[in-house]
This record gives sequence, C-alpha cells and structure tokens, in this order.
Amino acid sequence: MKRLLVIALALLGLASAQVQVRISGWGGTDVAIVNGVLENVVRPALEGTGIEVVYEPVEGDFQQFIFNALSAGTAPDLFYVDIFWSRAAFASGKVAALDALGVDAEPFLDNLVQAFTLDGHLYGIPKDFNTLAIEFNKDLFEEAGVPFPNQNDTWETFEAKLKAVVDRLGDVHGICVVPDFARFGAFAFATGWKPFNEDGRTVLDENFRRAFEWYTGLVDRGVGVLAQDLGQGWTGGCFATEEVAAAIEGAWIAGFLRDQAPNLNYGTTFIPKDPVTGQRGNFIFTVSWSLYEGSKNKEAALKVLELLTSPEAQQWVLERGLAIPSRAALANNPYFQRPGKEPQLNRVVFQGASQGNVFPFEFRGLGADWMNIINEALSAVLLGEKSVDQALADAQDRLDRLTGHK
Amino acid sequence: MTAPSQVDPVFLARRRWARVGWIYGTLLFIGTLFIGTLYVAFITSLKDDPLEQPFRFLFPQLSPRNWAAAWQLGQAGARDPWLGGFAPGAEVPFTVTYFVPEGREAIPPEVRIPRRKPGAGLGAVREGPYAADYAEVSPVEEVARRPGTYRGQAGTFVRYRFTVRYVGDGPRIERLPADLEVPRGQRFVEATLAPNRIERRGRVASWDNLTPGFLGYVFHNYVRVFREARSLSTGESLFWRWTLNSFYIAFFTVIGNLLFGSMAGYALARLRFPGRHALFLFMLFSMMVPFQVIFISNYLVLRDGIFGLTRLFGLETLLNHPWGVIVPGIVGSSSVFIMKQFFESIPKEIEEAALIDGATPFQTFFRVVLPISTPALGALTILTFQGSWNSFFWPLVVLTSPQDVFTLPVGLLAFRQAYGVAGDWGLILAGAFLSMIPIVVLFVVFQRYFVEGVSFSGLKG
Repeated sequence: MKRLLVIALALLGLASAQVQVRISGWGGTDVAIVNGVLENVVRPALEGTGIEVVYEPVEGDFQQFIFNALSAGTAPDLFYVDIFWSRAAFASGKVAALDALGVDAEPFLDNLVQAFTLDGHLYGIPKDFNTLAIEFNKDLFEEAGVPFPNQNDTWETFEAKLKAVVDRLGDVHGICVVPDFARFGAFAFATGWKPFNEDGRTVLDENFRRAFEWYTGLVDRGVGVLAQDLGQGWTGGCFATEEVAAAIEGAWIAGFLRDQAPNLNYGTTFIPKDPVTGQRGNFIFTVSWSLYEGSKNKEAALKVLELLTSPEAQQWVLERGLAIPSRAALANNPYFQRPGKEPQLNRVVFQGASQGNVFPFEFRGLGADWMNIINEALSAVLLGEKSVDQALADAQDRLDRLTGHK
Repeated sequence: MTAPSQVDPVFLARRRWARVGWIYGTLLFIGTLFIGTLYVAFITSLKDDPLEQPFRFLFPQLSPRNWAAAWQLGQAGARDPWLGGFAPGAEVPFTVTYFVPEGREAIPPEVRIPRRKPGAGLGAVREGPYAADYAEVSPVEEVARRPGTYRGQAGTFVRYRFTVRYVGDGPRIERLPADLEVPRGQRFVEATLAPNRIERRGRVASWDNLTPGFLGYVFHNYVRVFREARSLSTGESLFWRWTLNSFYIAFFTVIGNLLFGSMAGYALARLRFPGRHALFLFMLFSMMVPFQVIFISNYLVLRDGIFGLTRLFGLETLLNHPWGVIVPGIVGSSSVFIMKQFFESIPKEIEEAALIDGATPFQTFFRVVLPISTPALGALTILTFQGSWNSFFWPLVVLTSPQDVFTLPVGLLAFRQAYGVAGDWGLILAGAFLSMIPIVVLFVVFQRYFVEGVSFSGLKG
C-alpha cells in the first residue's frame, strides 16, 4: 500500500512538473539587481503557479551571446535588448512581437515604448532607462559666488556660469569634454537637427554645425578641458575628483560617486537649452525585456515578463537608487520628492525623457559605425588636427558612403 | 702593425665585455619591463585610488606609521589587530589635527558615522548591518593647540580627540566608516590613521574604515575580494567558491589526463595492433585543429548531457556544471603524445623481463612501467594543472550561471564587469594577484618538471 502511495505521489509530481522560464541579461552589477527583483518580487508572486524562473546572466559580450543564441535556437525565453542594437535583433525575426500576444504597453513611458517599436510592432517592454543631465558641484559654485546652473539656462548662460567659476577659483575647470556623440548629440538634437532625414541620409547641416562649434569650442574658450588631459575617460571621472564644476551624465553616475566621492555635494539640473531654438535635446538609453520567438513557454514567459516590469519590481529597484523605472505612473512616486542628491538626480533624469527633442540611442542599426564618424570629427577638432570645416566635410563624405548616398 | 694571425688580447677582452654588457643589459631591460609592470600592478592593488594621477610610489598604505595605527585601531575595534572590525564593547580613540589660518576661529570637526555600503560593484547591492546603527561618538574635545605655519600660511594647529563606542549588544560589523567635516578654510593636517580621501576641497576627511586592522588596511582590496563578492543564494564568499571550483576542475582534469594519457601513450608506444600508425596520425591531426572549430559541437553534446548519458547520474545537462569543463579536457592528445614519447625512451628489456615473469600487459603497465615514469607524470601533472587553472574560453562558454559555478578566470571577468566600470581596478588587480598564487607556488616548487615537460612535448618529437 505504501509503495502504491509513493508511486502515485511520484506520478503526481511528474504531472505537475514545473515550467521553466529562462531569463538572461548581462553580468556585472545587474546580476545583483535582477536577483534582488527575482527574490523579492517575482518568485513570491509565482508561488503555486508551477512556473520556475532560471536566471542566466552572461559575463562577456552579451550582444554576441544573444545573437549567437538566437541563430542557434538556444536563446533564453526572456532576455535584454539594448536600444543600441535593438533594430538588428528585432529585424532578425527571432524576437516575438509582443502586441500580437496581447501585451499592453500603455502604462510605460511613450518615448520608451516607441524606442522598442519597429514597423508598428512592439518588441520589448522597457525595463528601465536613463537620459543625460547636468550634475554640478555645489561647493565650487558657492565658493566662487556663482549661482547654480538651473533649468532655464541656455548654452550661453550655462557656459558663462562655468567660466565665472573657473575665473574666480583658478584651480578648477568648468566641464570635461569628451569626443563622444553619446554626450555631444544631446546638444545637436537641441538645435532641431535629426540624425536621419526622410531619405535615410545624415545631413550635417547648419544646425549641427552650430552645436558642433559650441561644443568643440568649450576647451578653446577656457571653459572645458579634455577628459584625457585629467587622466579620465568620462566626464563622471573628472567630476568625482572635484577638478571640474559640472558633468554631463545619466543616473549611472550616482553609484560611481557613492563609492568614489561619497561626500561630494552635488546638484542636478536639465541639459541647457539651445539659445536659438529654446529647446533642449537628450538621449534615451534604455534596455528592454524581450521574448524569444521560438520560446516553448510563451505564456509562462509573458507572466514572468509582466512581473519583471511590474510596479512592485520597479519600486524595489527605484528605492535602492539602482535604476530609473519605465512606468509613467511612477513619475509621482514619493521617492522622487525625497530630499537629497540622489533622488534629485533620478528625478531630473526621469523627467529628461519628456523634455524637448529626445531621441533613442539608436541609429538605424548602423550603431557604432555611424557614431564613430562623428566621434572622429569631434576628436580631430578638439585635438586641433582639423578645422571645423574640414572635419565636417570629411564626416559628411564618410556618412554618405555609409548610408548609401554616394 | 699586428699580423692578421695575431689577435690583440685587449681587443678580445673589450669584445667579451661588450658582449656581456649587451646580454646582461638586454636581460635587465626585459626583467625590468616585466617585473616593473608587475610591481606597479601590485602597488596599485594596495591603493585607495588606483587611477590616481600623477602616479605615486609612496602612499599611506606603505607608511609604517599607518601600519601601527591600523593594528592598534583593529585591536580597539574588535580585538582583531589583523582584520579589524567593530564589535560590542569597542572603544576606539581617535585624534585629528587641523590647521586654522590666522584670523579664523577654530571650530571642532563634526564627526559622522555614515550608512555607507562598500564599493560600487557587487557590494553596493548587498544589505548588511551598518556600524552607524550601533556606534556612538563622544563629544569632540580639543587637546592641544600650537602656533605654526602650514604651506606658507601662519596660523594655529589644533588637535582634537574623540572616541567611537559600540553601545550595547549586536553583531560584529566589518567596517566603521567615518566622515569628519570642518568649515571652509580649516585644513586637515594629520590623524591617527591617514584618511582614504579628502573631499569637498579639504573640508571633509573620509575613512572607509576607522578600525581596519593591519591586513584590512594595507591589503584592503584583497580583503574586499573575499568579503564583498558573496553569492546571492548562499551568502558565501564567491571568490572562495571560484577558487575551490578551479581546484576541483584542475584536480579531476589532471587525474583524467594522467590515467588516460599514460594508458593511450603506452598502447601507442608498445602495443602492436592494426591501425596503430593511422591512429597516431589522426591524433596528431587532432592537435592541429583549433578548439574554436569544434566548440559548438562540444557545447551541443554537453547541453544534451552527452546523448542523455548523464541522466543516469541525475543530470539533465552538463552546462553550468564543473564536469562540463572536465569531460572535454579529461584527455588531450598532447598528454598522450608526451607519455608516448617518454615510454619509447624506456628500455624494452624491462618490460620483457616482466613478460617472462608472466605479467599481463596491464600488470606490466601498472606495476612496472608507471612506477618508473614519475618524471613524465610529474611534468604532465604540472602542465595540465597549469592549463586547466588558466583556461578561460571553455569555462566561459560552459559556466554561465549562477555565479557560484564560475572558475577563477571567469569570476575575474565578472569582477571586471562589476567594478571596472566604476574605476575600482584595485580590487580587480587584487583578485588577479590572488589567482596567480597557486601557479607561482607550483612553478617555484616544480621548476625542474616544467623544463622537462617542455622538452618531452616539444623537442623529442
């Protein structure tokens, strides 16, 4: 009798076998964040549903991993897609269109949803995002007796404030300048310039030139300093050592400063406006959770996707200052109203997504090839190797070749 | 004029010395190049700010005064002069000196024990007890005052003292961070222990740990390697786990290679069977195929648990399992090759004697041949261990998650991803140095076998 019971129980166990949902993203600190969300939000909610989540973070080149896995048919059910290479992933036909499966993207910020929409289909739910903001060192401004940068600043007033700090203190710089479209692009967008016109061509027009001249001229005018001249690779690195008065970074700088300069007394405001158009520009850096087209457990995976991007999950991440939530409703979250430098930084970055000309950090699948041309033009001018005319003419020529207009 | 047959001894001596100069000069240059980079990497792993510009060769972690202070503070904080900490009953006395320029009033520093998580990487998301919840700071009292000049400015040096106490009962806490803030104008001069950083244009002196202990101060990045990276499921130190995994994998890979390499090598060297030469040629050919060519097929075989065979042991797949790394490396053609070359050098008469005594080929092999093969086995052990310990590509492919299954090199990559973005290279370097230790020990102890191993595998073919 006992044996029969054991067999029956075993059979019952087989019948109610758990459905496994594999999820994957890159390694590093994300491992701890996703694990936290899984432990605190997802797994408790899945109890009794028979769904088991297996998390497989990837150390190394995640983009390569996921493209290999998609073509080999071994892709996880849910995985990250970075906006930077999203188009190539979605165009492969291996990522499931979520709108066809009835996923509602309504609660998420429209800008982000658009970033993961291709040909009218939604291919990912934004898990979180970042935009650029201006972080400024309050001590330096106070010591110099200069008012803090604020949301009404234009490039000109912002530059004048930085210049005043540099002139009065003498031993600091205004801002670190990097030859990187990921920072400079925000100013180009402010002028109304768009990366591609209707024909898919990149035109470096007068507007682009205006932003380009302003940005590369910062060093000559004594306001900026090349990051590499301070031994740094990014504007955040210069900022942490208090050698510059301001930085252009997203909310990712918070974790870095918490570690490297925990007492740094900084404030955050929006990217200054173009004095001509009165507009701001910005980037959206974002990552989605996307579903594998060949997944055998789509229904269970959708349930997990829903939990991973649920208000509870985003609240958990937000409160730890780890990422900015992608749900529009979280704009009114009390966290953003808390006093302190980090909630302020996160608030400005959150609001940055809906101010002025905001473009996703994505360039029609041309990605790094497209950006490198502009980065090299920036670098050539900043290092004094080329004149602005020459650098822009060369860049235009190369961009035309790349986009097939020559 | 010297005849052509006669050679000037002075000229000869000069040439000889020039040659010596060249050889030693080159060796010295290469040595400095390699040892120099290692040395710089090592001292960088001790620094608070590994990216500091300009690079300093002397910094607080190398000062004996700070060593002594760290030892005493560790003792005061948790009765542990080596690793320090903050435990119930602790009473940590601390003094600090500020310079107050002439015409300014000396204002005592404000002491804060912040709730601060260690590091920007994995430690940043781990919840733990904070010293701030248990620490009580005594009022700051002035103990001395003397006039003087500091960087060409006249003024007064003021020394303050305070004590941090652990009130009541509670857990032992690893770190006691502290920030001391003074109004603008006063300058930090010195303290019982040098601060980790001076912030806010000199106003804030900040310590990661007031009670570090000697090792916790000098080798703080090394201690962090073990403390900060903890498994999210079990809470145990990931670095330990990775080290154990690497040892486990290396151990079984060595055993497998010794056993199968020597058996196959013996068969190829001594046994006569049809297709022997073809087999040997095939084996040589397999040595020429890069691993990258076959890794996808290997991966798929492991994914399915070697055609489902592993289900017999309750394993669905060998991915993310140490045996997924061990099985494909359990015998390599180079080990067979090394052993074959060695067995061919053993006189046949020894085995013939065994044969006359009535031994079977197996008995001859295990009882006679293997015991006299220790040099080759030693060389093979070392080469295989070194190869397995350092192997990166295959473990990276097979071991992806959870982090508990990584080997050390893959774990170090995880470190790089978690800490590199924050410029926290000190910890990554510390991890790299620790992972080097077993190989260095192995090399120093078994140097002779390394040379033999190379000569077996390379020169006698």
